[in-house]
Amino acid sequence: MPQVNHRITPSDTPSGSFYGTSEEGSKIQLNKENVIIENNRAKYLPPWTTPYIIGVAGPSGSGKTSVAAKIVSSINVPWTVLVSLDNFYKPLAPEERLQAFKNEYDFDHPSAIDLDLAYECILSLKEGRKTTIPVYSFIEHNRVPNKSINIYGASVIVLEGIYALYDKRLLDLMDLKIFVDADSDVCLARRLSRDIIHRGRDLQGCIQQWQKFVKPNADKYLSPTMQNSNAIVPSLTDNGVAVDVIINHIKLKLQSKSEDHLKELIRLGSASTMPLGDYKSVHELDATNQVLSINTMLLDKKLKRDDFVFYFDRLASIILTKALDDIPIFEKRDIVTPNGVTVTDSAACNFEQIAAVNLIRSGDCFVHSLKNTVPNISLGKLLIQSDSQTGEPQLHCEFLPSGIEKYDRVLLMEAQIITGAAMIMAIQVLLDHAVSLKKIKVVVYLATELGIRRIINAFHDRVEIFVGTIITRKGIAHSNWAKTRFVDAKYFGCK
Amino acid sequence: MSSEPFNNVYLLPQTNQLIGLYTIIRDKNTTRPNFIFYADRIIRLLVEEGLNHLPVQDLTIETDTAEKYEGCSFMGKICGVSIVRAGESMEQGLRDCCRSVRIGKILIQRDEETAQPKLFYEKLPEDIANRYVFLLDPMLATGGSAMMATDVLIKRGVKPERIYFLNLICSKEGIDNYRAQFPDVKIVTGAIDKGLDKNKYLVPGLGDFGDRYYCI
Repeated sequence: MPQVNHRITPSDTPSGSFYGTSEEGSKIQLNKENVIIENNRAKYLPPWTTPYIIGVAGPSGSGKTSVAAKIVSSINVPWTVLVSLDNFYKPLAPEERLQAFKNEYDFDHPSAIDLDLAYECILSLKEGRKTTIPVYSFIEHNRVPNKSINIYGASVIVLEGIYALYDKRLLDLMDLKIFVDADSDVCLARRLSRDIIHRGRDLQGCIQQWQKFVKPNADKYLSPTMQNSNAIVPSLTDNGVAVDVIINHIKLKLQSKSEDHLKELIRLGSASTMPLGDYKSVHELDATNQVLSINTMLLDKKLKRDDFVFYFDRLASIILTKALDDIPIFEKRDIVTPNGVTVTDSAACNFEQIAAVNLIRSGDCFVHSLKNTVPNISLGKLLIQSDSQTGEPQLHCEFLPSGIEKYDRVLLMEAQIITGAAMIMAIQVLLDHAVSLKKIKVVVYLATELGIRRIINAFHDRVEIFVGTIITRKGIAHSNWAKTRFVDAKYFGCK
Repeated sequence: MSSEPFNNVYLLPQTNQLIGLYTIIRDKNTTRPNFIFYADRIIRLLVEEGLNHLPVQDLTIETDTAEKYEGCSFMGKICGVSIVRAGESMEQGLRDCCRSVRIGKILIQRDEETAQPKLFYEKLPEDIANRYVFLLDPMLATGGSAMMATDVLIKRGVKPERIYFLNLICSKEGIDNYRAQFPDVKIVTGAIDKGLDKNKYLVPGLGDFGDRYYCI
């Protein structure tokens, strides 16, 4: 269901999908700390934290589904999600189901739809949370048990359904409201063919339903909602012009949203002037002889790949070890050594309480060393890429260990931070999965000062960063290598 | 960064993680696979710390973006020397950092008649006199065999200030004995234990390292 854009290039920037979050209405319980941060953050990253929501309403058989589908395929933005209000039909009680089978149940009354749940789901999506949407069977007249659709990180949501523009709460969440208008005889003809062919009904039942429910309800409840719309699309076979106009409008809106996002990222880089060395949350490796020498080798264009992998792995181990140095003491227990000496209150750590998430592909460079440090670690992955035209980061997929919020530490690994945008998005993804900020440890080999500052400012200096080397603003002028993604390219041997 | 509690004795930073690792390897209930894994992790840290003390020289290289980068490179050759058998457990940790490093071996055992350590066997790189030497032995209790091994190295022409003695646990008594004889050798360790019992075992120690690493 998510539409994936093809205009993408590898990069390190997080996407616009805009995982804004607030403490209310959430299915995920956030702890107190998260909520505070969220509130702080809301001041920082306003426009790009919420998906663009489009409502498409219209009478049954008017062709709203095809209009919605056309919008989805034309705007060409990753993570555009089409949600049908049909999914939110209320489950029927046994006697109601009998009525339904006899075509005596009124499916076309607004009350047949669980608008409360629909609102909850769309709000949750608007707030950027992972959201579960039920699946409804028109044959069983019930929600399909154990089946649901999970949506997370949508940039554009198209909500389509007869009563998409009916509920005031839903209307307030929408950025664009479209009504697809049609003559009722056209609607009836389309409806008959759909219900009989695709939904297994009989002709007589369908006609009966039309006269008894569909038509009167449409007149009474649906037609007035046309006033709630911003645009009315004719339901002729050739409504191409109207749809094109709407699509162009949406594209303009999305573009300005994406510009806001990029502007916000730029602002984050310059928001504070405190020297980087004064931040307690930033841990750069001491420039020891080893670190300096390994860096020199890794930067040398003549270094063979074999050696590159070996020395990168070494440095990765050093950074990972440092990121784990303050692992919490799990318990203090008495131990006995083999020669019979008892050590009381010996501090023990639980390495199983650590999870890691790497950004595909550069974070994968850490995996070898990670496995040598914590062999059976739970490992999640995120794919975040930048739009090649705008440079705006976009989340393409997420695989996270279940219960990730319960781990003591979550290492978030990336070989290089250049703009910082991908890392900001990755951190936001973890926050949306209820991981608290203080548990997140960013692990990175090479970072620009700009990227580090953005992360500090975006999260109020509340996330710890363990970095091999930081290239300062001054240094970057004659260090173009720090702005190219050479580490994973060389580590994996393909650009 | 390591601390230097005594002159030329470098102690790894006592972080939660390191203390936790020691709790695992000291516990007699730790299974052998876990003992080996976590001991290896500490050994790796000791090796990295030791390597950090080696000198470097300036080196300018060219990057993929055709820019000059002023960095540095390792200077001088190194080799490892392990005291058989327990010291050999530390060779892999050294190889994990220096892939084709030369490794010499010294076998010292207690002479049953005199109860003194006795040199049984040595096999060292020809040019060891020109190298930095990482002397590997996991436990420094009284320091008897380590001192004999160091003596062998110095007789072969190695400069004492170029010797780094890496061990996981040592005692104050062992350090004092060793430093009295070799004040210029650098000791790199992860833990300094309370002392020795009447059998000259480290307290609390971790039992016989070689047995735990190689046998049951």
